[in-house]
Amino acid sequence: MASSAIGLFHDPDSALEAAGELMSAGFARPELQSPIPLHGVEAVLGPKKSVIRRFTLFGGLFGAIGGFTLAAGTAVLYLHPAGGRPIIAIPPFLIISYEMTILCGILATVLGFLISARFPAIRERIYVPEAAVDKFVVTVPCETSEHSDRAEAILRDAGAEEVRHLREDGS
Amino acid sequence: MRDEKQELQYSDVNDDVVRSLVVTGRNYYIALGLAIFVTLACFFFPWFYQLYFGIGAAGNNHPAVWGTYLASFIFWIGLSHSGTLLSCVLHITNSEWRKAMYRSAEAMTLFSLLVAATMIMVHVGRPWFIHWAVPYPNQMELWPNFRSPLMFDVMAVTTYLTGSLIFIYMGSIPDFAAVRDRTTGWRHHLYVLLSLGWRGTDTEWHRLGWAYTFLAVLIIPLAVSVHSIVSWDFAMSLVPGLHQTIFAPYFVVGAIYSGTAGIVTVMYVLRKYMNFEHYITKLHFDNLGKLLIVLSLIWTYINVLELFTGWYSGTSTEYEQLNYKLFGFYAPLYWEMILFCAAVPLLMLSRRIRTSFFPMLLISIAINIGMYTERFLIVATTQVRQYLPDRWGTYVPSLVEISIIVGSLALFITLFLVFVKIFPSVSIYEIKETMDTPKKGKPEWQAAQ
Amino acid sequence: MNFLDRFISSWQKFRKPGYYEEFDYAWTMTIDLDRCTGCGACVTACQAENNTPIVGEKELAKGREMQWMRIERYWEGEYPNARLSFIPMLCQHCDSAPCETVCPVSATYHNQDGLNTQIYNRCIGTRSCAVYCPYEVRYFNYNDHHWDSPLDQQLNPDVTVREKGVMEKCTFCVQRIRQAKDHAKDDGRRRVQDREVQPACVQTCPSEALVFGDRKDTNSSVSKSMRDPRAYHVLEELNALPSVVYLKKVATDA
Repeated sequence: MASSAIGLFHDPDSALEAAGELMSAGFARPELQSPIPLHGVEAVLGPKKSVIRRFTLFGGLFGAIGGFTLAAGTAVLYLHPAGGRPIIAIPPFLIISYEMTILCGILATVLGFLISARFPAIRERIYVPEAAVDKFVVTVPCETSEHSDRAEAILRDAGAEEVRHLREDGS
Repeated sequence: MRDEKQELQYSDVNDDVVRSLVVTGRNYYIALGLAIFVTLACFFFPWFYQLYFGIGAAGNNHPAVWGTYLASFIFWIGLSHSGTLLSCVLHITNSEWRKAMYRSAEAMTLFSLLVAATMIMVHVGRPWFIHWAVPYPNQMELWPNFRSPLMFDVMAVTTYLTGSLIFIYMGSIPDFAAVRDRTTGWRHHLYVLLSLGWRGTDTEWHRLGWAYTFLAVLIIPLAVSVHSIVSWDFAMSLVPGLHQTIFAPYFVVGAIYSGTAGIVTVMYVLRKYMNFEHYITKLHFDNLGKLLIVLSLIWTYINVLELFTGWYSGTSTEYEQLNYKLFGFYAPLYWEMILFCAAVPLLMLSRRIRTSFFPMLLISIAINIGMYTERFLIVATTQVRQYLPDRWGTYVPSLVEISIIVGSLALFITLFLVFVKIFPSVSIYEIKETMDTPKKGKPEWQAAQ
Repeated sequence: MNFLDRFISSWQKFRKPGYYEEFDYAWTMTIDLDRCTGCGACVTACQAENNTPIVGEKELAKGREMQWMRIERYWEGEYPNARLSFIPMLCQHCDSAPCETVCPVSATYHNQDGLNTQIYNRCIGTRSCAVYCPYEVRYFNYNDHHWDSPLDQQLNPDVTVREKGVMEKCTFCVQRIRQAKDHAKDDGRRRVQDREVQPACVQTCPSEALVFGDRKDTNSSVSKSMRDPRAYHVLEELNALPSVVYLKKVATDA
């Protein structure tokens, strides 16, 4: 039955080693849980692309154009001459546009983060509470019990302090 | 009792932070109760009195229509520049020493902005209509006047408030996850919601790292622009003494200056009363002290420039302004400001003073008193000495105003006290990053068992 | 026309400097300082016409006087050789008014008559216009005011009574200008005649030092008065383009 093998490691290097060996043994991409961001993950597990960049860029552009449109458009809707200045005054509206660029860029980045990291987590996902404290955790999905035995062997070889098996039904 | 940081384990960090959240001593409740009482008595009560009787409750008159409320607004926005701006800059430059203190510094930013927003509501003559300054479609078909420097202010401060809130929240998501596992009851539910289901997987760390860096890159120009825009409320007027191009850099430097001094104060308090001695060390105070010296020197330079350009201009109005500022009715305040902001910080040139905690606290408080005086002088001395001598006057703040200043500080303290019990006030995962990562093989303490 | 057309036409129409010249009227006032005696009748008339509050002794001591028109006094020298110069100062209705740009809710703007108007309903009381005005002619309502009986029966029904928190200033008696324009329209005329409308101060001045009219009409008395060689603007170097022209005092001390 499908389950996940979970290995708890004391240090990040062993965890990375274990993950690398699992991948070369043909398992699906393992997931690493850790209390701090790890370095060298991409070397072992393959490169990651970030789509957040695009969100920020489009958010910023939207804010820039939207900010200017807001300021200039509302100025035209209700003509309100003030101080002999033009109705559509470029320097003040550029400042508004600048602020809106940053605001929309920030909001778009947050949106991009939530979407690409799949937050908030509605359904339960595999989680090991020790990963938030001081253990480095490798989880890998296994289809059969034979796979999970092999996974356990690999994890113990790499120096896991503890290996758990989590079946799909939660046991 | 742990002696050195090298013996700190990852789990100790979690323990310390969870304990700081959950274990509440009697002193905390006393402090919180006092802060709430002073806020209600010194801020809200005089404000409601003023709402009923009009701005006449303050000491404003003609010509001094702007008073301490606006000076306080500028001061609190200045104080807010420390946390988030500093945090972002230090993040981009990959500096290590920021990690222990930036969470509380960012919280300081957020609460300063909130207090500044309330100061605007106190300052305005008809605050029940202040929503008209926000661009929203309405039945009157009226929009605010985007050509106004005050509208730039509205947009900038709103953006900065949103950005700060998002920045501190994003940085705290892993910490919420860490404390979620160890708390119960309402805290547990709150942290479950706030942590969004964070598990600490490599994907999540990767995404968070990128998002956080982008936010930091966006917030740095934002913070510089916010206080420049606030300075343009003054600089775009024709008032001699205010109508100067130096105002934008002057205000930004002053803001970072007073904000960093505020961080020193907050760090001292946190370290002493939340038992964070291991995380907030002499190194932090040393580095903050160095930063303060640089800012103090720049601030002094800009003040000298103002004197020089005023004298060099040769116009009667600028001359009169300078004369009045240095030797007029407010001269004692001017010289006090010079003493506290230009002279006293030079003490920090000595390494011994920079690494002693109590002197740094005193110097940081002195800097902030001097900076508040500077804001007050900008508002008070310039309005009362403009072009037409028939309209010269004086401005003395009334009791209501002084009470509201004290109350705003109490409001800030209240918000901060509530914060330390709900947010992890020290960033758990970043502290762990500064500690040595565990190496392969059993550690000594385990082998010894 | 659709929004884009409106956008482009507003851009073009309002970009060139001096677009106020195309407005309907350009109300201007000249103040002849040779004729002005400093009697203050204009101040009183303005107070009577515009329901300006009587602030009382205590508030006056704090410096919160409310006089839309004020007589500025400057003393030179010591007794017995003291000399007094005075100048009536009121809102100059500047074409490049610094106060208009800074209001965040557009409570002050330049209307089609060339007047700098204040919309009391819209004002939220930020008081930035008062700071930005170099002539310091804007007055803020620090308190709610009341008029002791029977002064409350003297209030002008054509003018609102302002509540606390609202900024006010001289409006060139815009209520009288409105009435005059209405009469002109009823009569089928297109324009208000010269000297048909006079603000309270101009009407009251005993020495006729104040002249009011439309400077777009080159034959009006105010245009002729403006062409006097003594004409100048107060604080001209600030380039606010005020609509109040002062005629310099050259009377000798004979």
